[in-house]
Amino acid sequence: MTSLAASTPPVIRHPIEPEAAPAVQLEGAGLTYESKDGALEAVAPTTLKIRAGEFVALVGPSGCGKTTLMRIIAGLIAPTVGRAQVFGDSPQVAQQRKRLGLVFQEPALLAWRSVEDNIRLGLELNPRETDTGMNIEELIAVVGLTGFGRYRPAELSGGMQQRVALARALAIDPPLLLLDEPFAALDEITREQMRYELLRLWGVSHNAQEPPRSAMFVTHSVAEAVAISDRVLVMSPRPGRIIADVPITTPQPRRPEHEHSDRFINNCAIVRAALRAPTTPAVPLDAA
Amino acid sequence: MFSNPVRRLDSVDAPFGAEGAGQRERLAPVALPSWRPLAAWVVPPLVALIILAVAVEIWVRAGGVSVWVMPRPSSVLEVFVSDFGLYFSEGLLTVAVSLAGLAVGTAAATLLAAGVAHSQLLERAVLPIAIMVKVTPVVALIPLFIIWLGHSIEPKIAIAALITYFPVLINAIAGFRDVDARMHDFFRSVDASTWEIFRYLRLPAAVPYLFASLKISVTLSLIGAVVAEFFLSGQGGLGALIWIEQNNLRLDRVFAAVLMLTLIGVTLSTAVVAAERVFSWRLDQPSAGA
Repeated sequence: MTSLAASTPPVIRHPIEPEAAPAVQLEGAGLTYESKDGALEAVAPTTLKIRAGEFVALVGPSGCGKTTLMRIIAGLIAPTVGRAQVFGDSPQVAQQRKRLGLVFQEPALLAWRSVEDNIRLGLELNPRETDTGMNIEELIAVVGLTGFGRYRPAELSGGMQQRVALARALAIDPPLLLLDEPFAALDEITREQMRYELLRLWGVSHNAQEPPRSAMFVTHSVAEAVAISDRVLVMSPRPGRIIADVPITTPQPRRPEHEHSDRFINNCAIVRAALRAPTTPAVPLDAA
Repeated sequence: MFSNPVRRLDSVDAPFGAEGAGQRERLAPVALPSWRPLAAWVVPPLVALIILAVAVEIWVRAGGVSVWVMPRPSSVLEVFVSDFGLYFSEGLLTVAVSLAGLAVGTAAATLLAAGVAHSQLLERAVLPIAIMVKVTPVVALIPLFIIWLGHSIEPKIAIAALITYFPVLINAIAGFRDVDARMHDFFRSVDASTWEIFRYLRLPAAVPYLFASLKISVTLSLIGAVVAEFFLSGQGGLGALIWIEQNNLRLDRVFAAVLMLTLIGVTLSTAVVAAERVFSWRLDQPSAGA
Protein backbone atom coordinates (compact mmCIF):
# COMPACT_ATOMS: atom_id res chain seq x y z
CA MET A 1 0.00 0.00 0.00
CA THR A 2 3.05 2.29 -0.10
CA SER A 3 2.10 3.62 -3.53
CA LEU A 4 -1.22 4.81 -2.19
CA ALA A 5 0.34 7.77 -0.37
CA ALA A 6 2.00 9.05 -3.52
CA SER A 7 -1.19 8.82 -5.56
CA THR A 8 -3.32 10.70 -3.04
CA PRO A 9 -4.27 14.17 -4.27
CA PRO A 10 -4.04 16.96 -1.73
CA VAL A 11 -7.18 17.45 0.29
CA ILE A 12 -8.89 20.79 -0.13
CA ARG A 13 -10.37 21.78 3.16
CA HIS A 14 -13.01 24.25 4.13
CA PRO A 15 -11.99 27.37 6.06
CA ILE A 16 -13.01 27.34 9.70
CA GLU A 17 -15.24 30.31 10.38
CA PRO A 18 -15.30 31.22 14.06
CA GLU A 19 -17.68 34.13 13.40
CA ALA A 20 -20.44 32.13 11.72
CA ALA A 21 -23.13 30.30 13.68
CA PRO A 22 -21.56 27.08 14.96
CA ALA A 23 -22.39 23.97 12.96
CA VAL A 24 -23.26 22.17 16.18
CA GLN A 25 -23.88 23.60 19.59
CA LEU A 26 -24.92 21.49 22.55
CA GLU A 27 -25.86 23.29 25.74
CA GLY A 28 -26.07 20.82 28.59
CA ALA A 29 -27.80 18.33 26.30
CA GLY A 30 -28.20 14.92 27.90
CA LEU A 31 -30.46 11.92 27.72
CA THR A 32 -31.90 9.83 30.50
CA TYR A 33 -34.10 6.82 29.83
CA GLU A 34 -36.87 6.43 32.38
CA SER A 35 -37.94 2.90 33.19
CA LYS A 36 -39.67 1.01 35.99
CA ASP A 37 -36.29 0.07 37.47
CA GLY A 38 -35.25 3.70 37.63
CA ALA A 39 -33.52 6.15 35.40
CA LEU A 40 -30.68 5.17 33.08
CA GLU A 41 -28.48 8.07 32.12
CA ALA A 42 -27.23 7.39 28.60
CA VAL A 43 -25.56 10.72 27.98
CA ALA A 44 -24.63 13.10 30.79
CA PRO A 45 -25.39 16.78 30.13
CA THR A 46 -22.92 17.75 27.45
CA THR A 47 -21.78 21.11 26.19
CA LEU A 48 -19.83 21.29 22.97
CA LYS A 49 -19.40 23.42 19.91
CA ILE A 50 -18.34 22.49 16.40
CA ARG A 51 -17.44 25.57 14.38
CA ALA A 52 -18.50 25.92 10.78
CA GLY A 53 -15.85 24.29 8.61
CA GLU A 54 -14.45 22.17 11.42
CA PHE A 55 -13.88 18.40 11.26
CA VAL A 56 -14.35 16.94 14.74
CA ALA A 57 -13.92 13.34 15.80
CA LEU A 58 -15.65 11.81 18.79
CA VAL A 59 -13.98 8.81 20.39
CA GLY A 60 -15.02 6.77 23.40
CA PRO A 61 -15.55 3.25 24.65
CA SER A 62 -18.44 1.12 23.42
CA GLY A 63 -21.80 2.03 24.87
CA CYS A 64 -20.70 5.45 26.09
CA GLY A 65 -23.47 7.21 24.19
CA LYS A 66 -21.61 8.42 21.10
CA THR A 67 -24.38 7.29 18.79
CA THR A 68 -27.03 8.76 21.08
CA LEU A 69 -25.22 12.09 21.06
CA MET A 70 -25.13 12.01 17.26
CA ARG A 71 -28.83 11.15 17.09
CA ILE A 72 -29.55 14.14 19.35
CA ILE A 73 -27.61 16.41 17.00
CA ALA A 74 -29.45 14.95 13.99
CA GLY A 75 -32.81 15.60 15.66
CA LEU A 76 -33.70 11.89 15.65
CA ILE A 77 -34.06 11.84 19.43
CA ALA A 78 -34.86 14.74 21.73
CA PRO A 79 -32.53 15.41 24.68
CA THR A 80 -34.26 15.06 28.06
CA VAL A 81 -32.21 17.99 29.39
CA GLY A 82 -30.52 20.91 27.70
CA ARG A 83 -30.76 21.68 24.03
CA ALA A 84 -29.10 21.08 20.69
CA GLN A 85 -28.67 23.58 17.89
CA VAL A 86 -27.46 23.07 14.34
CA PHE A 87 -26.38 26.23 12.50
CA GLY A 88 -28.20 28.29 15.09
CA ASP A 89 -31.54 26.51 14.65
CA SER A 90 -33.16 23.42 16.05
CA PRO A 91 -32.14 20.08 14.49
CA GLN A 92 -35.66 19.87 13.01
CA VAL A 93 -34.99 22.99 10.98
CA ALA A 94 -31.73 21.42 9.81
CA GLN A 95 -33.73 18.35 8.68
CA GLN A 96 -36.23 20.50 6.83
CA ARG A 97 -33.46 22.43 5.11
CA LYS A 98 -31.63 19.18 4.34
CA ARG A 99 -28.49 20.35 6.04
CA LEU A 100 -27.58 16.95 7.52
CA GLY A 101 -25.69 14.19 5.74
CA LEU A 102 -25.91 10.98 7.75
CA VAL A 103 -23.65 7.97 7.30
CA PHE A 104 -23.97 4.91 9.52
CA GLN A 105 -21.82 1.95 10.49
CA GLU A 106 -23.74 -0.21 8.02
CA PRO A 107 -24.35 1.19 4.53
CA ALA A 108 -28.16 0.88 5.06
CA LEU A 109 -29.01 1.07 1.37
CA LEU A 110 -32.33 0.25 -0.29
CA ALA A 111 -31.78 -3.27 -1.66
CA TRP A 112 -34.31 -2.82 -4.46
CA ARG A 113 -32.74 0.33 -5.85
CA SER A 114 -29.70 0.67 -8.06
CA VAL A 115 -26.60 2.49 -6.85
CA GLU A 116 -27.56 5.72 -8.62
CA ASP A 117 -31.15 5.58 -7.37
CA ASN A 118 -29.87 5.04 -3.83
CA ILE A 119 -27.62 8.08 -4.17
CA ARG A 120 -30.54 10.09 -5.54
CA LEU A 121 -32.79 9.15 -2.61
CA GLY A 122 -32.11 12.22 -0.48
CA LEU A 123 -33.00 14.49 -3.41
CA GLU A 124 -36.25 12.63 -4.14
CA LEU A 125 -37.47 12.79 -0.57
CA ASN A 126 -39.03 16.00 0.65
CA PRO A 127 -38.18 17.71 -2.66
CA ARG A 128 -37.76 21.46 -2.52
CA GLU A 129 -37.29 24.06 -5.21
CA THR A 130 -34.20 25.38 -3.51
CA ASP A 131 -32.44 22.01 -3.61
CA THR A 132 -29.19 22.45 -5.43
CA GLY A 133 -28.04 18.89 -5.14
CA MET A 134 -25.16 17.43 -7.03
CA ASN A 135 -24.85 15.81 -10.38
CA ILE A 136 -25.35 12.10 -9.66
CA GLU A 137 -23.05 10.97 -12.47
CA GLU A 138 -20.27 13.21 -11.18
CA LEU A 139 -20.86 12.03 -7.64
CA ILE A 140 -20.60 8.39 -8.69
CA ALA A 141 -17.27 9.23 -10.34
CA VAL A 142 -16.06 11.08 -7.27
CA VAL A 143 -16.67 8.08 -5.01
CA GLY A 144 -14.94 5.84 -7.55
CA LEU A 145 -17.97 3.84 -8.66
CA THR A 146 -18.02 4.76 -12.34
CA GLY A 147 -19.74 2.00 -14.26
CA PHE A 148 -21.57 0.66 -11.21
CA GLY A 149 -24.51 3.09 -11.33
CA ARG A 150 -27.00 0.45 -12.43
CA TYR A 151 -25.81 -2.25 -10.02
CA ARG A 152 -27.80 -3.26 -6.98
CA PRO A 153 -26.14 -2.81 -3.55
CA ALA A 154 -26.00 -6.59 -3.02
CA GLU A 155 -23.72 -6.85 -6.05
CA LEU A 156 -21.07 -4.59 -4.47
CA SER A 157 -18.40 -5.21 -1.84
CA GLY A 158 -18.77 -3.72 1.65
CA GLY A 159 -16.34 -0.89 0.90
CA MET A 160 -18.18 0.01 -2.31
CA GLN A 161 -21.53 -0.04 -0.50
CA GLN A 162 -20.17 2.35 2.13
CA ARG A 163 -19.01 4.68 -0.65
CA VAL A 164 -22.56 4.62 -2.02
CA ALA A 165 -23.79 5.61 1.46
CA LEU A 166 -21.25 8.46 1.52
CA ALA A 167 -22.37 9.60 -1.92
CA ARG A 168 -26.01 9.46 -0.80
CA ALA A 169 -25.19 11.70 2.17
CA LEU A 170 -23.26 14.13 -0.07
CA ALA A 171 -25.90 14.22 -2.80
CA ILE A 172 -28.06 16.69 -0.90
CA ASP A 173 -24.95 18.84 -0.49
CA PRO A 174 -25.20 19.13 3.30
CA PRO A 175 -23.13 21.64 5.25
CA LEU A 176 -22.87 19.12 8.12
CA LEU A 177 -21.81 15.49 7.79
CA LEU A 178 -22.66 13.22 10.71
CA LEU A 179 -20.67 10.01 10.45
CA ASP A 180 -21.38 7.24 12.96
CA GLU A 181 -18.46 4.78 12.81
CA PRO A 182 -18.79 4.67 9.03
CA PHE A 183 -15.80 2.37 8.51
CA ALA A 184 -16.22 0.08 11.52
CA ALA A 185 -17.60 -2.78 9.42
CA LEU A 186 -14.80 -2.61 6.84
CA ASP A 187 -11.56 -4.54 6.77
CA GLU A 188 -8.44 -2.72 7.94
CA ILE A 189 -6.99 -2.18 4.46
CA THR A 190 -10.16 -0.67 3.00
CA ARG A 191 -10.63 1.28 6.17
CA GLU A 192 -7.26 3.03 5.93
CA GLN A 193 -7.98 4.02 2.34
CA MET A 194 -11.45 5.28 3.19
CA ARG A 195 -10.11 7.83 5.70
CA TYR A 196 -8.52 9.88 2.99
CA GLU A 197 -11.38 9.18 0.59
CA LEU A 198 -13.68 10.70 3.18
CA LEU A 199 -11.50 13.78 3.67
CA ARG A 200 -11.40 14.29 -0.06
CA LEU A 201 -15.18 13.87 -0.40
CA TRP A 202 -15.79 16.12 2.55
CA GLY A 203 -13.72 18.76 0.78
CA VAL A 204 -15.74 18.54 -2.43
CA SER A 205 -16.98 22.05 -3.07
CA HIS A 206 -20.58 22.74 -2.27
CA ASN A 207 -23.35 25.30 -2.35
CA ALA A 208 -21.90 28.74 -1.59
CA GLN A 209 -25.20 29.77 0.03
CA GLU A 210 -24.52 27.36 2.87
CA PRO A 211 -21.89 27.61 5.63
CA PRO A 212 -18.58 25.82 5.03
CA ARG A 213 -18.99 22.11 5.45
CA SER A 214 -18.37 20.65 8.90
CA ALA A 215 -18.20 17.06 10.02
CA MET A 216 -18.67 15.06 13.18
CA PHE A 217 -17.03 11.69 12.99
CA VAL A 218 -17.74 9.02 15.61
CA THR A 219 -15.15 6.26 15.88
CA HIS A 220 -13.56 3.67 18.15
CA SER A 221 -10.23 4.09 16.47
CA VAL A 222 -7.84 6.64 17.97
CA ALA A 223 -5.57 6.57 14.90
CA GLU A 224 -8.53 7.14 12.59
CA ALA A 225 -9.76 10.06 14.70
CA VAL A 226 -6.32 11.72 14.86
CA ALA A 227 -5.62 11.11 11.17
CA ILE A 228 -8.58 13.03 9.82
CA SER A 229 -9.90 15.52 12.36
CA ASP A 230 -9.04 19.03 13.48
CA ARG A 231 -10.08 18.21 17.01
CA VAL A 232 -10.77 15.00 18.92
CA LEU A 233 -13.40 14.93 21.63
CA VAL A 234 -12.97 12.07 24.10
CA MET A 235 -15.99 10.61 25.86
CA SER A 236 -16.08 8.76 29.18
CA PRO A 237 -17.81 5.40 29.71
CA ARG A 238 -21.55 5.58 30.32
CA PRO A 239 -23.05 7.94 31.24
CA GLY A 240 -21.02 9.53 28.50
CA ARG A 241 -19.61 12.98 28.89
CA ILE A 242 -16.82 14.79 27.16
CA ILE A 243 -13.64 14.50 29.21
CA ALA A 244 -11.04 15.83 26.81
CA ASP A 245 -10.85 18.15 23.82
CA VAL A 246 -7.61 17.49 21.94
CA PRO A 247 -6.60 19.80 19.08
CA ILE A 248 -4.74 17.85 16.40
CA THR A 249 -1.53 19.55 15.39
CA THR A 250 -0.64 17.43 12.35
CA PRO A 251 -0.30 19.78 9.37
CA GLN A 252 -3.09 20.22 6.82
CA PRO A 253 -3.94 18.89 4.33
CA ARG A 254 -3.74 15.44 5.83
CA ARG A 255 -1.91 12.68 4.00
CA PRO A 256 -1.35 9.02 4.83
CA GLU A 257 2.38 9.57 5.43
CA HIS A 258 1.52 11.91 8.30
CA GLU A 259 0.53 8.83 10.23
CA HIS A 260 4.23 8.08 10.68
CA SER A 261 5.15 11.52 12.00
CA ASP A 262 6.10 12.24 15.62
CA ARG A 263 3.30 14.77 15.90
CA PHE A 264 0.72 12.22 14.85
CA ILE A 265 2.07 9.71 17.38
CA ASN A 266 2.10 12.37 20.13
CA ASN A 267 -1.49 13.35 19.36
CA CYS A 268 -2.56 9.72 19.52
CA ALA A 269 -0.78 9.37 22.87
CA ILE A 270 -2.68 12.34 24.30
CA VAL A 271 -6.04 10.94 23.18
CA ARG A 272 -5.20 7.48 24.53
CA ALA A 273 -4.15 8.96 27.87
CA ALA A 274 -7.47 10.78 28.08
CA LEU A 275 -9.33 7.56 27.32
CA ARG A 276 -7.42 5.73 30.07
CA ALA A 277 -7.89 8.42 32.72
CA PRO A 278 -10.15 7.50 35.63
CA THR A 279 -13.19 9.47 34.67
CA THR A 280 -16.43 8.45 36.29
CA PRO A 281 -16.35 8.99 40.06
CA ALA A 282 -18.53 6.63 42.09
CA VAL A 283 -20.39 9.67 43.42
CA PRO A 284 -21.20 12.44 40.93
CA LEU A 285 -19.03 15.44 41.71
CA ASP A 286 -21.86 17.93 41.94
CA ALA A 287 -24.02 15.68 44.10
CA ALA A 288 -21.78 16.00 47.14
CA MET B 1 -18.60 21.56 -9.83
CA PHE B 2 -15.87 19.67 -8.01
CA SER B 3 -12.70 21.43 -7.12
CA ASN B 4 -10.35 18.47 -7.25
CA PRO B 5 -10.11 15.70 -9.79
CA VAL B 6 -10.38 12.10 -8.73
CA ARG B 7 -7.85 9.51 -9.76
CA ARG B 8 -7.82 7.24 -6.79
CA LEU B 9 -8.14 3.60 -5.92
CA ASP B 10 -8.49 2.58 -9.55
CA SER B 11 -6.21 -0.39 -9.00
CA VAL B 12 -8.11 -1.35 -5.86
CA ASP B 13 -11.42 -1.06 -7.65
CA ALA B 14 -10.53 -3.53 -10.36
CA PRO B 15 -10.95 -6.68 -8.23
CA PHE B 16 -14.16 -5.25 -6.74
CA GLY B 17 -15.42 -4.60 -10.22
CA ALA B 18 -14.61 -8.09 -11.39
CA GLU B 19 -16.33 -9.53 -8.36
CA GLY B 20 -19.37 -7.34 -8.90
CA ALA B 21 -19.61 -8.28 -12.55
CA GLY B 22 -19.48 -11.96 -11.68
CA GLN B 23 -22.35 -11.62 -9.25
CA ARG B 24 -24.31 -9.55 -11.71
CA GLU B 25 -24.53 -12.52 -14.03
CA ARG B 26 -26.05 -14.55 -11.26
CA LEU B 27 -28.47 -11.87 -10.09
CA ALA B 28 -29.63 -10.85 -13.55
CA PRO B 29 -33.37 -11.22 -14.23
CA VAL B 30 -34.26 -14.90 -14.11
CA ALA B 31 -34.31 -16.37 -17.59
CA LEU B 32 -36.99 -18.87 -18.52
CA PRO B 33 -35.77 -22.33 -17.63
CA SER B 34 -34.38 -24.27 -20.55
CA TRP B 35 -36.06 -27.55 -21.46
CA ARG B 36 -33.77 -29.98 -19.76
CA PRO B 37 -34.07 -28.77 -16.14
CA LEU B 38 -37.79 -28.22 -16.65
CA ALA B 39 -38.19 -31.79 -17.86
CA ALA B 40 -36.21 -32.99 -14.84
CA TRP B 41 -38.85 -31.48 -12.58
CA VAL B 42 -41.91 -32.36 -14.60
CA VAL B 43 -41.24 -35.88 -15.87
CA PRO B 44 -40.79 -37.81 -12.58
CA PRO B 45 -44.11 -36.71 -10.98
CA LEU B 46 -45.87 -37.19 -14.32
CA VAL B 47 -44.57 -40.76 -14.59
CA ALA B 48 -45.56 -41.43 -10.97
CA LEU B 49 -49.04 -40.09 -11.70
CA ILE B 50 -49.43 -42.31 -14.77
CA ILE B 51 -48.30 -45.36 -12.77
CA LEU B 52 -50.86 -44.51 -10.08
CA ALA B 53 -53.63 -44.10 -12.68
CA VAL B 54 -52.73 -47.39 -14.32
CA ALA B 55 -52.74 -49.10 -10.91
CA VAL B 56 -56.21 -47.72 -10.14
CA GLU B 57 -57.40 -48.76 -13.62
CA ILE B 58 -56.20 -52.34 -13.02
CA TRP B 59 -57.70 -52.39 -9.52
CA VAL B 60 -61.09 -51.12 -10.73
CA ARG B 61 -61.26 -53.52 -13.72
CA ALA B 62 -59.80 -56.63 -12.06
CA GLY B 63 -61.56 -56.08 -8.74
CA GLY B 64 -64.87 -55.37 -10.40
CA VAL B 65 -65.25 -52.12 -8.46
CA SER B 66 -68.58 -50.44 -9.16
CA VAL B 67 -68.55 -47.19 -11.19
CA TRP B 68 -70.74 -45.73 -8.41
CA VAL B 69 -67.78 -46.07 -6.09
CA MET B 70 -64.74 -45.50 -8.27
CA PRO B 71 -64.69 -44.62 -11.94
CA ARG B 72 -61.99 -45.93 -14.24
CA PRO B 73 -59.23 -43.35 -14.76
CA SER B 74 -59.54 -44.00 -18.50
CA SER B 75 -63.21 -43.00 -18.53
CA VAL B 76 -62.43 -39.89 -16.43
CA LEU B 77 -59.85 -38.89 -19.04
CA GLU B 78 -62.33 -39.69 -21.82
CA VAL B 79 -65.02 -37.44 -20.28
CA PHE B 80 -62.44 -34.72 -19.58
CA VAL B 81 -61.26 -34.67 -23.19
CA SER B 82 -64.68 -34.97 -24.86
CA ASP B 83 -66.31 -32.31 -22.63
CA PHE B 84 -63.19 -30.15 -22.28
CA GLY B 85 -65.10 -27.05 -23.43
CA LEU B 86 -67.53 -27.41 -20.50
CA TYR B 87 -64.83 -27.93 -17.87
CA PHE B 88 -62.82 -25.08 -19.33
CA SER B 89 -65.68 -22.55 -19.30
CA GLU B 90 -66.87 -23.59 -15.82
CA GLY B 91 -63.25 -23.47 -14.74
CA LEU B 92 -62.94 -19.88 -16.01
CA LEU B 93 -65.88 -18.93 -13.83
CA THR B 94 -64.25 -20.51 -10.78
CA VAL B 95 -60.96 -18.77 -11.58
CA ALA B 96 -62.78 -15.44 -11.94
CA VAL B 97 -64.40 -15.85 -8.50
CA SER B 98 -61.13 -16.97 -6.96
CA LEU B 99 -59.05 -14.13 -8.42
CA ALA B 100 -61.68 -11.50 -7.65
CA GLY B 101 -61.78 -12.75 -4.05
CA LEU B 102 -57.99 -12.76 -3.90
CA ALA B 103 -57.85 -9.19 -5.24
CA VAL B 104 -60.45 -7.89 -2.79
CA GLY B 105 -58.95 -9.81 0.15
CA THR B 106 -55.37 -8.77 -0.65
CA ALA B 107 -56.25 -5.12 -1.22
CA ALA B 108 -58.28 -4.89 1.99
CA ALA B 109 -55.64 -6.73 4.04
CA THR B 110 -52.79 -4.59 2.64
CA LEU B 111 -54.64 -1.36 3.43
CA LEU B 112 -55.47 -2.59 6.92
CA ALA B 113 -51.86 -3.69 7.45
CA ALA B 114 -50.61 -0.25 6.39
CA GLY B 115 -52.84 1.28 9.07
CA VAL B 116 -51.82 -1.26 11.71
CA ALA B 117 -48.11 -0.78 10.91
CA HIS B 118 -48.48 2.92 11.71
CA SER B 119 -50.77 2.79 14.73
CA GLN B 120 -50.44 0.66 17.81
CA LEU B 121 -53.99 1.59 18.83
CA LEU B 122 -55.35 0.31 15.52
CA GLU B 123 -53.28 -2.85 15.94
CA ARG B 124 -54.75 -3.52 19.38
CA ALA B 125 -58.25 -2.83 18.13
CA VAL B 126 -58.14 -4.72 14.86
CA LEU B 127 -55.77 -7.64 15.26
CA PRO B 128 -57.84 -9.59 17.83
CA ILE B 129 -60.89 -9.28 15.58
CA ALA B 130 -58.86 -10.35 12.56
CA ILE B 131 -57.70 -13.43 14.47
CA MET B 132 -61.27 -14.18 15.62
CA VAL B 133 -62.45 -14.12 12.02
CA LYS B 134 -59.47 -16.25 11.07
CA VAL B 135 -60.21 -19.02 13.58
CA THR B 136 -63.89 -19.03 12.59
CA PRO B 137 -64.49 -21.41 9.65
CA VAL B 138 -65.69 -18.73 7.25
CA VAL B 139 -67.55 -21.20 5.04
CA ALA B 140 -70.09 -21.23 7.90
CA LEU B 141 -70.95 -17.68 6.83
CA ILE B 142 -71.91 -18.65 3.27
CA PRO B 143 -75.65 -18.95 4.05
CA LEU B 144 -75.54 -15.46 5.57
CA PHE B 145 -73.68 -14.00 2.63
CA ILE B 146 -76.27 -15.48 0.27
CA ILE B 147 -79.02 -13.68 2.19
CA TRP B 148 -77.07 -10.41 2.23
CA LEU B 149 -75.52 -10.43 -1.22
CA GLY B 150 -77.95 -12.49 -3.28
CA HIS B 151 -77.74 -15.64 -5.35
CA SER B 152 -75.05 -14.34 -7.64
CA ILE B 153 -71.28 -14.07 -7.84
CA GLU B 154 -70.96 -11.60 -4.93
CA PRO B 155 -71.27 -14.03 -1.98
CA LYS B 156 -68.74 -16.33 -3.66
CA ILE B 157 -66.25 -13.49 -4.02
CA ALA B 158 -66.88 -12.46 -0.41
CA ILE B 159 -66.00 -15.95 0.87
CA ALA B 160 -62.89 -16.16 -1.31
CA ALA B 161 -61.82 -12.73 -0.04
CA LEU B 162 -62.49 -13.55 3.60
CA ILE B 163 -60.51 -16.79 3.39
CA THR B 164 -57.50 -15.09 1.79
CA TYR B 165 -57.14 -11.92 3.83
CA PHE B 166 -55.47 -13.29 6.93
CA PRO B 167 -52.12 -14.53 5.57
CA VAL B 168 -51.81 -11.28 3.61
CA LEU B 169 -52.62 -9.17 6.66
CA ILE B 170 -50.07 -10.84 8.92
CA ASN B 171 -47.33 -10.88 6.29
CA ALA B 172 -47.97 -7.31 5.17
CA ILE B 173 -47.76 -6.03 8.76
CA ALA B 174 -44.45 -7.86 9.20
CA GLY B 175 -43.22 -6.51 5.86
CA PHE B 176 -44.18 -2.90 6.52
CA ARG B 177 -42.36 -3.10 9.84
CA ASP B 178 -39.27 -4.85 8.54
CA VAL B 179 -37.41 -1.66 7.78
CA ASP B 180 -33.81 -0.99 8.72
CA ALA B 181 -33.71 1.41 11.70
CA ARG B 182 -30.82 3.38 10.21
CA MET B 183 -32.60 3.58 6.89
CA HIS B 184 -35.54 5.02 8.77
CA ASP B 185 -33.17 7.49 10.45
CA PHE B 186 -31.90 8.58 7.05
CA PHE B 187 -35.44 9.24 5.82
CA ARG B 188 -36.18 11.29 8.92
CA SER B 189 -32.90 13.20 8.64
CA VAL B 190 -34.12 14.77 5.39
CA ASP B 191 -37.57 15.42 6.86
CA ALA B 192 -39.32 12.78 4.71
CA SER B 193 -43.08 12.60 5.26
CA THR B 194 -44.88 9.55 6.65
CA TRP B 195 -46.22 8.95 3.14
CA GLU B 196 -42.70 9.10 1.64
CA ILE B 197 -41.41 6.68 4.27
CA PHE B 198 -44.27 4.36 3.35
CA ARG B 199 -43.95 4.72 -0.40
CA TYR B 200 -40.17 4.51 -0.67
CA LEU B 201 -39.27 2.35 2.34
CA ARG B 202 -42.08 0.29 3.88
CA LEU B 203 -43.96 -0.71 0.74
CA PRO B 204 -40.96 -1.99 -1.24
CA ALA B 205 -39.65 -3.71 1.91
CA ALA B 206 -42.98 -5.56 2.15
CA VAL B 207 -43.03 -6.86 -1.44
CA PRO B 208 -41.27 -10.17 -0.70
CA TYR B 209 -43.61 -10.67 2.28
CA LEU B 210 -46.65 -9.96 0.12
CA PHE B 211 -45.57 -12.55 -2.43
CA ALA B 212 -44.96 -15.13 0.30
CA SER B 213 -48.53 -14.63 1.53
CA LEU B 214 -49.91 -14.60 -2.01
CA LYS B 215 -48.51 -18.10 -2.54
CA ILE B 216 -50.65 -19.29 0.38
CA SER B 217 -53.66 -17.15 -0.41
CA VAL B 218 -54.00 -18.08 -4.07
CA THR B 219 -54.82 -21.71 -3.22
CA LEU B 220 -57.01 -20.63 -0.30
CA SER B 221 -59.06 -18.45 -2.62
CA LEU B 222 -59.67 -21.44 -4.88
CA ILE B 223 -60.94 -23.43 -1.89
CA GLY B 224 -63.26 -20.57 -0.94
CA ALA B 225 -64.59 -20.27 -4.48
CA VAL B 226 -65.33 -24.01 -4.84
CA VAL B 227 -67.02 -24.35 -1.44
CA ALA B 228 -69.18 -21.29 -2.16
CA GLU B 229 -70.13 -22.81 -5.51
CA PHE B 230 -71.40 -25.94 -3.73
CA PHE B 231 -73.98 -23.73 -2.06
CA LEU B 232 -74.87 -21.84 -5.24
CA SER B 233 -75.13 -24.79 -7.61
CA GLY B 234 -77.40 -22.84 -9.94
CA GLN B 235 -74.69 -20.24 -10.60
CA GLY B 236 -72.12 -22.37 -12.44
CA GLY B 237 -68.48 -22.98 -11.74
CA LEU B 238 -66.63 -26.24 -11.13
CA GLY B 239 -67.87 -26.48 -7.55
CA ALA B 240 -71.48 -26.34 -8.77
CA LEU B 241 -70.70 -28.91 -11.48
CA ILE B 242 -69.20 -31.30 -8.91
CA TRP B 243 -72.27 -30.86 -6.71
CA ILE B 244 -74.67 -31.61 -9.55
CA GLU B 245 -72.73 -34.61 -10.91
CA GLN B 246 -72.42 -36.03 -7.41
CA ASN B 247 -76.23 -35.95 -7.22
CA ASN B 248 -76.32 -37.70 -10.60
CA LEU B 249 -73.81 -40.27 -9.26
CA ARG B 250 -71.58 -39.51 -12.25
CA LEU B 251 -68.27 -39.96 -10.44
CA ASP B 252 -66.31 -39.89 -13.68
CA ARG B 253 -67.58 -36.36 -14.31
CA VAL B 254 -66.84 -35.39 -10.69
CA PHE B 255 -63.27 -36.56 -11.12
CA ALA B 256 -62.97 -34.72 -14.44
CA ALA B 257 -63.98 -31.49 -12.70
CA VAL B 258 -61.49 -32.19 -9.89
CA LEU B 259 -58.80 -32.75 -12.52
CA MET B 260 -59.61 -29.31 -13.97
CA LEU B 261 -59.33 -27.78 -10.47
CA THR B 262 -55.93 -29.38 -10.03
CA LEU B 263 -54.75 -27.89 -13.32
CA ILE B 264 -56.10 -24.49 -12.27
CA GLY B 265 -54.36 -24.72 -8.89
CA VAL B 266 -51.04 -25.58 -10.52
CA THR B 267 -51.44 -22.74 -13.04
CA LEU B 268 -52.32 -20.10 -10.45
CA SER B 269 -49.50 -21.09 -8.08
CA THR B 270 -47.01 -21.08 -10.94
CA ALA B 271 -48.25 -17.67 -12.03
CA VAL B 272 -47.63 -16.25 -8.54
CA VAL B 273 -44.08 -17.65 -8.50
CA ALA B 274 -43.47 -16.21 -11.98
CA ALA B 275 -44.88 -12.83 -10.94
CA GLU B 276 -42.64 -12.86 -7.87
CA ARG B 277 -39.58 -13.35 -10.04
CA VAL B 278 -40.57 -10.40 -12.20
CA PHE B 279 -41.84 -7.95 -9.59
CA SER B 280 -40.17 -8.67 -6.26
CA TRP B 281 -37.66 -5.95 -5.31
CA ARG B 282 -38.54 -4.25 -8.56
CA LEU B 283 -41.36 -2.08 -7.36
CA ASP B 284 -39.80 1.22 -8.28
CA GLN B 285 -37.83 0.20 -11.33
CA PRO B 286 -36.73 1.85 -13.44
CA SER B 287 -35.80 4.84 -11.29
CA ALA B 288 -38.99 5.88 -9.52
CA GLY B 289 -39.76 9.54 -9.14
CA ALA B 290 -37.48 10.50 -12.01
